[in-house]
Amino acid sequence: MARVNTVLGPIPSEELGFVAVHEHIGYGMPGSELDTRWWKSPEQRYEETVPKLRAFHENCKPYGAATFVDATGICNGRDIPYYQSLSEKTGVHIVASTGFVGGDTALPFFERASVDYLTDQFLHEITVGIAGTGAKAGIIKVGVSRGFKMKELDLRIYRAAARAALATGVPIFTHLAVDVEPAIEVFHDEGLPLHRVLFGHADDGVSQGKVRDTWIADQGGRIGFDTFGYDLELPDPPFWGRPRQERLDHFLRYVQGGRVDSVLASADANCSPLGWPGVKGHTVNYLFEVLIPALREAGVDDDTITRIFVDLPAAFLSLQTPSPTTSPS
Amino acid sequence: MTGTVNTVLGPVPSADLGVVAVHERLVSVVPGAQFAYDVRIDRAEVFEAVAAQLRAFRAAGGGTVVDSTGMFHGRDVRLLEALSRATGVHLVASTGMGPEAMLGGYFLTPQTNPPTPWPADRFADLFTAEVTEGMVVPRVERRGLAGLAVTATTRGGRTATDESLLLGVARTALTTGVPASLRSDDVDDLDVVLKEGLPAHRVAVVADDPLAVVERGAYAVLTDPARVLELVDAGHAERVLLTTGGVGVSFGEDAPTASYADLTTALPRDVATQVLVANPRDLLAIEKR
Repeated sequence: MARVNTVLGPIPSEELGFVAVHEHIGYGMPGSELDTRWWKSPEQRYEETVPKLRAFHENCKPYGAATFVDATGICNGRDIPYYQSLSEKTGVHIVASTGFVGGDTALPFFERASVDYLTDQFLHEITVGIAGTGAKAGIIKVGVSRGFKMKELDLRIYRAAARAALATGVPIFTHLAVDVEPAIEVFHDEGLPLHRVLFGHADDGVSQGKVRDTWIADQGGRIGFDTFGYDLELPDPPFWGRPRQERLDHFLRYVQGGRVDSVLASADANCSPLGWPGVKGHTVNYLFEVLIPALREAGVDDDTITRIFVDLPAAFLSLQTPSPTTSPS
Repeated sequence: MTGTVNTVLGPVPSADLGVVAVHERLVSVVPGAQFAYDVRIDRAEVFEAVAAQLRAFRAAGGGTVVDSTGMFHGRDVRLLEALSRATGVHLVASTGMGPEAMLGGYFLTPQTNPPTPWPADRFADLFTAEVTEGMVVPRVERRGLAGLAVTATTRGGRTATDESLLLGVARTALTTGVPASLRSDDVDDLDVVLKEGLPAHRVAVVADDPLAVVERGAYAVLTDPARVLELVDAGHAERVLLTTGGVGVSFGEDAPTASYADLTTALPRDVATQVLVANPRDLLAIEKR
């Protein structure tokens, strides 16, 4: 049976339903918790978050259940007991991640850590639980530090993630798909098939011209169109925003060009951001309010939409022990 | 000179501090170690271990311990309050952080384009609010007022962010009247603080070259009683401080355990009165300008 770790325990992948594969309950850079300008009362955090998750749950009903994959790694405000309460009260499955958004979000203790230690950290969070909660991570987050250049610490985290993914069968998703050659080298080196990796934010505005997305897809990697909704048409768009139509056209080239199985899609929205203002009005429900209608208008049929948001993520998230591509040396 | 000192339980006249362990780390957590799968922080155990050390200090005649870990290395204001209440030892907590390598990404690669590290003024605002409005219990509340502002510089040469931190600490001390403390291997770091206008007698430095520190009129923090006596003999009794160099309880790295009680017998009585009582009293008293 294919299973997926959620914060309330493992569930069969058949129960996932509609999956938003790269989202955040709340994200903040490490240290932002010291700056009171961002603080919110617990009442405010629940008020900002619960209605979005309930709407997501309603929107997902035609697909069965609702699954929200939280991409907030260690040190960025990941808060498992909070996620558990949200999941229990709203009915949304929440998958938590181990790993780090990037080397520059790993605090000094982990910056000093070896590949072996980082591997053990990820293994523990996937097989035993996160921070004494009993909730097991369902996916590993890795990423590229600011500056579009893979750093040594980033790669140490990628290698540990590859080993933990091979040992446990959980997949990996990345923050940014730029400077991807060294990452792919690490995955090859460790023997992790690239279909176990979602190369995220391949669709964002600042990455364009720096992402070899078809090159990644040709090797079996999954391409993350996972910043849907960060549109430059917004009143105050973030620096990674992109013209709405341009992103959609990019996505459609995959979906209508025979590469639908290479994509996964999400909105990367914060329900209630922790250490930054967030982007007003942008929620996970963009997927239903804007993206799916736009796909239908472009002629994408319902089976394909179900494939993108139900079948492909279920296969990706299912714990599986992949056959190594090569024997690790 | 007398005045008041911010302790975790409120302002205390500096004359009441008694024998002071002036530059200690009561609970030290390497940033991130609190999330490590094999680090278990049992608050009751931490409390018991530190409380035992503080009770021994008090029984030996000690009065005050200054925690100089800053705001991002395991500081736990609520625990410090409980420790002070339970043991009767005055505890002074600090704001500040450093060196750069000990900071969180929020300060170094913020979500702006480009990701420009924080400048001095933002650090000054962050630290000053901890002295005037209260120290943060992250995302929960502010409690108690910080009694000093601390930072450290990178061994082998300060970074641009280290310099911003030095200036931030200097401005905090200037604005609020609390002292500044630095851990630094280059006396030029002290000069950065002094050039900002902070008088030398408002600064304590854990330095490789304590003589250069006292010659500038700042306080040198030492861990070796023999070195203290050398500097006293050289005429610097009023600018020398003694600390254990140990840690109450450490997570994420090995560190020698502090014995605060040992401080009380480390120096001849007359020297101890100057170095462990009078000097910390003068340094810690808030000096309004």
